[in-house]
Amino acid sequence: MSTIPIDGAATVTFTVNGASVATEVETRRMLSDVIREDVGLTGTHLGCEHGVCGACTVLIDGQPARSCLMLAVQADGADITTIEGLADGDRLHAVQQAMHDSHSFQCAFCAPGFLMSTVALLAENPNPTRDQIRAELSGNLCRCTGYQSIIAGVETAVELLARSGGGERGGA
Amino acid sequence: MSAENQTSGLGGLVGQSVARVEDQRLLTGNGSYVADIDPPGVLHAAFLRSPFAHARIEAIDIGAARRARGVVAVFTGADIERTTHPFPPFLMMPGLYTPLYHALSVDKVRMVGDPVALVIAESRHLAEDALELIEVDYEPLPPVATIAQALAHGSEPLWEKADGNLLYDHTDTFGDVDAVFASADRVITERLSCQRQSNQPMETRGSVIEVDPATGHLTIHNATQSTHMLRWITAALTGKQSAATSLKDFLTNKQRRGAFVSAAREFVSANAESLKKQDNAGPAAQLKKDRSFVGHANRIGLGLLGKDDYPTVMARDIGGGFGSKGSIAREDVALAAAAIELGRSVKWIEDRVENLTDGGQAREEMITVSIAVDNDGSMRAMRADLVVDQGAYPGFPVGAPLTTRIMMVMFPGSYRFEAFEIRSRVVATNKGKYIPYRGPWANETWARERMIDIVARQLGMSPAEVRLRNMIDEADMPTAMVTGPTIDETMSTKRTLERALELVDLDAFEEQRVEAAAVGHQLGIGIASYHEAAPGPPDYWDSVNPGTSMMTFEDARTTVEADGSVLIYTQQMPHGQSHETTYAQVAADELGVRLEDVELVYGNTDRTPFGIAGTGGSRGGPLGGGAVKYSAREVRRKVVEKAAKLLEAAADDIEIVDGNIHVAGVPSRGLSYAEVASAAAAESGDPSSAPFDETTTYRGHGDGGWSTATHVCFVDIDLETGLVKIPRYLVVEDCGPVINPAIVDGQVRGGVAQGIGAVLYENSAYDDAGNVQATTYMDYLIPTAMEIPDIEVHHIETLSAGENDFRGVGEGGMIGAPAAITNAVEDALAPLGARVTEQYLPPTRILELAGVIDPD
Ligand code: FES
Ligand code: FES
Repeated sequence: MSTIPIDGAATVTFTVNGASVATEVETRRMLSDVIREDVGLTGTHLGCEHGVCGACTVLIDGQPARSCLMLAVQADGADITTIEGLADGDRLHAVQQAMHDSHSFQCAFCAPGFLMSTVALLAENPNPTRDQIRAELSGNLCRCTGYQSIIAGVETAVELLARSGGGERGGA
Repeated sequence: MSAENQTSGLGGLVGQSVARVEDQRLLTGNGSYVADIDPPGVLHAAFLRSPFAHARIEAIDIGAARRARGVVAVFTGADIERTTHPFPPFLMMPGLYTPLYHALSVDKVRMVGDPVALVIAESRHLAEDALELIEVDYEPLPPVATIAQALAHGSEPLWEKADGNLLYDHTDTFGDVDAVFASADRVITERLSCQRQSNQPMETRGSVIEVDPATGHLTIHNATQSTHMLRWITAALTGKQSAATSLKDFLTNKQRRGAFVSAAREFVSANAESLKKQDNAGPAAQLKKDRSFVGHANRIGLGLLGKDDYPTVMARDIGGGFGSKGSIAREDVALAAAAIELGRSVKWIEDRVENLTDGGQAREEMITVSIAVDNDGSMRAMRADLVVDQGAYPGFPVGAPLTTRIMMVMFPGSYRFEAFEIRSRVVATNKGKYIPYRGPWANETWARERMIDIVARQLGMSPAEVRLRNMIDEADMPTAMVTGPTIDETMSTKRTLERALELVDLDAFEEQRVEAAAVGHQLGIGIASYHEAAPGPPDYWDSVNPGTSMMTFEDARTTVEADGSVLIYTQQMPHGQSHETTYAQVAADELGVRLEDVELVYGNTDRTPFGIAGTGGSRGGPLGGGAVKYSAREVRRKVVEKAAKLLEAAADDIEIVDGNIHVAGVPSRGLSYAEVASAAAAESGDPSSAPFDETTTYRGHGDGGWSTATHVCFVDIDLETGLVKIPRYLVVEDCGPVINPAIVDGQVRGGVAQGIGAVLYENSAYDDAGNVQATTYMDYLIPTAMEIPDIEVHHIETLSAGENDFRGVGEGGMIGAPAAITNAVEDALAPLGARVTEQYLPPTRILELAGVIDPD
């Protein structure tokens, strides 16, 4: 046998995009790993695993959180939304539609994080200024775009949501 | 153009900002990146990496790791040496020695992060746990941490067979440099330096080697910019066996032998001209230092011939690369070797610390430039002395030496010079390996454009005036760069500069400058102009290195299936550039069908045409797009021919609108692609092959040309904090006809953003002992939405005589930006006596330059 101590395991229960999940996880495993590997939702990406790039952003009870910094056991009882939970079947969420219309992304590895952060931002502040958008999204890194197209996407989302009476804001 | 093509009724998709086809999956979390691939029973890999910059490996004890929970195998350099060949020299050039190295280090480590062992375990966690149980006995050697140390006599050599740490030393001279220097009014000299930077795509590298348990066939899922390159290099370097065994396998396999002989014949006849130009001095220089290559090459060659099966390489979505994923990673080869030996699938996804350490670094260069100039501002000749810090291992296939060749050719830029001379050197140091990073040669533009501002200041002229006076313009064309390549009408740099100058109000800026100075801010403006080979004229690659033009070929295949659907096959490997959208635009216009009728097939070596270059070098538009255009055009011709017969009309009278193939003016009696294709299929009687199927090879000769641009950057520097703000940034670019403006603008902006990062934020720093300092995003600062301003992009579309006029645009943003920004900073700080000679200008350096704080 190994001389390495085997980490403990615990059962965690949470919902992901409305579906309840109960699973036994090693206590050292991160929420991002459990979402990707155990729940099988690979839309949540890992860019740095040290909390800087924001690619792993999910919503925990409606608040944006870095799933790479959170132990899975800390999410016990939480209501989690990932990128896969935004669209309604084939119908894109307003933020996704706006980002599509605005040519926001290139490789789109960063996109899940930006989309989740934007959904959270607009839920809190449906009409942000451009400076506010830049500040609020400064916790998400994109290496491809120079951000301008993403900011434009957020502004388009503001318009789409206003037109639809903000009804889709709660999509998360 | 044939009459038929003129009436092809181009659907008008080219030129539109068509929304991206890729988005539906990528915006919903349904992309398929390498980390998302999990074959059944896959094992997980982790690499043990050296904590020392330079040391001898005295012993490795893997016993405890081997016994650890969940561990299946541990491989060391000795195992890898037994089962794989070393990375061979890719390009042998006069004056160059390329050291050979294995996928894991065998008896020496040459950088912090050098892989020395590979653990394969049931999970990544368990593999990493076991790394801690491996004991390596290192005997430290003196580190070589800087260019100066590498050049110093007696520095500890990284490579025993090299002359010290100088691996390449070559001088190119064009014209009578001495005479022009002697006759010029003055000579202005400056020494410029650029810090180490890193590509840093948001997705790290990764590979999943899937082994078919029944046949042993490998399917490699990899975040690669070039699937075919990875396929053949993996096949070449793994499965090492004796030359005699390989020879026997080859000789007893008649089918393979026949296929090889005909492929070799085809290759030689297609590239005869290019092969003739290759220079034997390159191989001679390599062999003088190190004959081991000959033995390896023979065994690699025979090994390839003896194999019955080569890996399949697949990729779907890739999270950016910027050049870094065009290199074959040592890890890729080690993982394949491990998977072959174990007969089990293996997965490795690099973490960010590894990526910042061993994922590739770039641009650490020192350049001394002298310009011989007359007092009226005429630049007459230039001398450059370039030293590139290659780090510990040569990038494969493209590394520092080839980059210096491109820098050599492009250094004179869009200006008339009577003479030019450059000495290029490449040194080895104990740092991460130098790989191509978006516009790998870009420091020629940075150095030249920085120098032009220095010249202008010394002559008391404006930087724009010096540029305009010396720039090649239409009246000079056709002409050639002093370094060789032909200059045709696509070299429109001067027009981009003139347009840029129209877009800025310099008088208003001077007023703002005065107002800002009153509140402790210095304003500045900087210009940079350049042209780039995207793809360049036919003689471009031979000017870089004789015989390399054969690398510019590109195939595309267009098929119409029996159900009328259109498939386009490409060797391009998109990783953010939106090929699925742009190639569909090009093909749909040619074929007269809707965008959604066309599907792009890429990222699968079993299905796509061969090509080792993949996506990179701004080739996607001109070469890939050109090949798509011509193959689709040929299919259209055949479809029209067939439809004409069915409609009992002349082919010249047929037009296609929205997929309706009909006699002009009689759309109601038209045929669909499905109808024509099924008729053709019925006739051929072969249901297994597409009724229309055309592959076109595009050699990049005759069409295309240069892409050009001028960047203008405004800066606002706060003398209190040293922070540099960019209130306005504009680019005037000319890449010929734009396929998709939103995508082109995105490429330009992304490149400029990386240029801003390069100057103001990013530094792959090392300490004196060769320890890498920036191993997280807390230290390596990728600019955020707070730092990158809106970037204006203006287009000029110069058309050439060629039919395929798309020109590349992927790299340009990054080529122009560092020069424009550093020029703006010097312009802002010049009143305080500053002279900018470094590319990296973080706030502390700005404050030093401004005289606010003392240097160190
Ligand atoms: S992966 Fe979580 S912040 Fe980067
Ligand atoms: S689109 Fe590639 S990282 Fe954002």
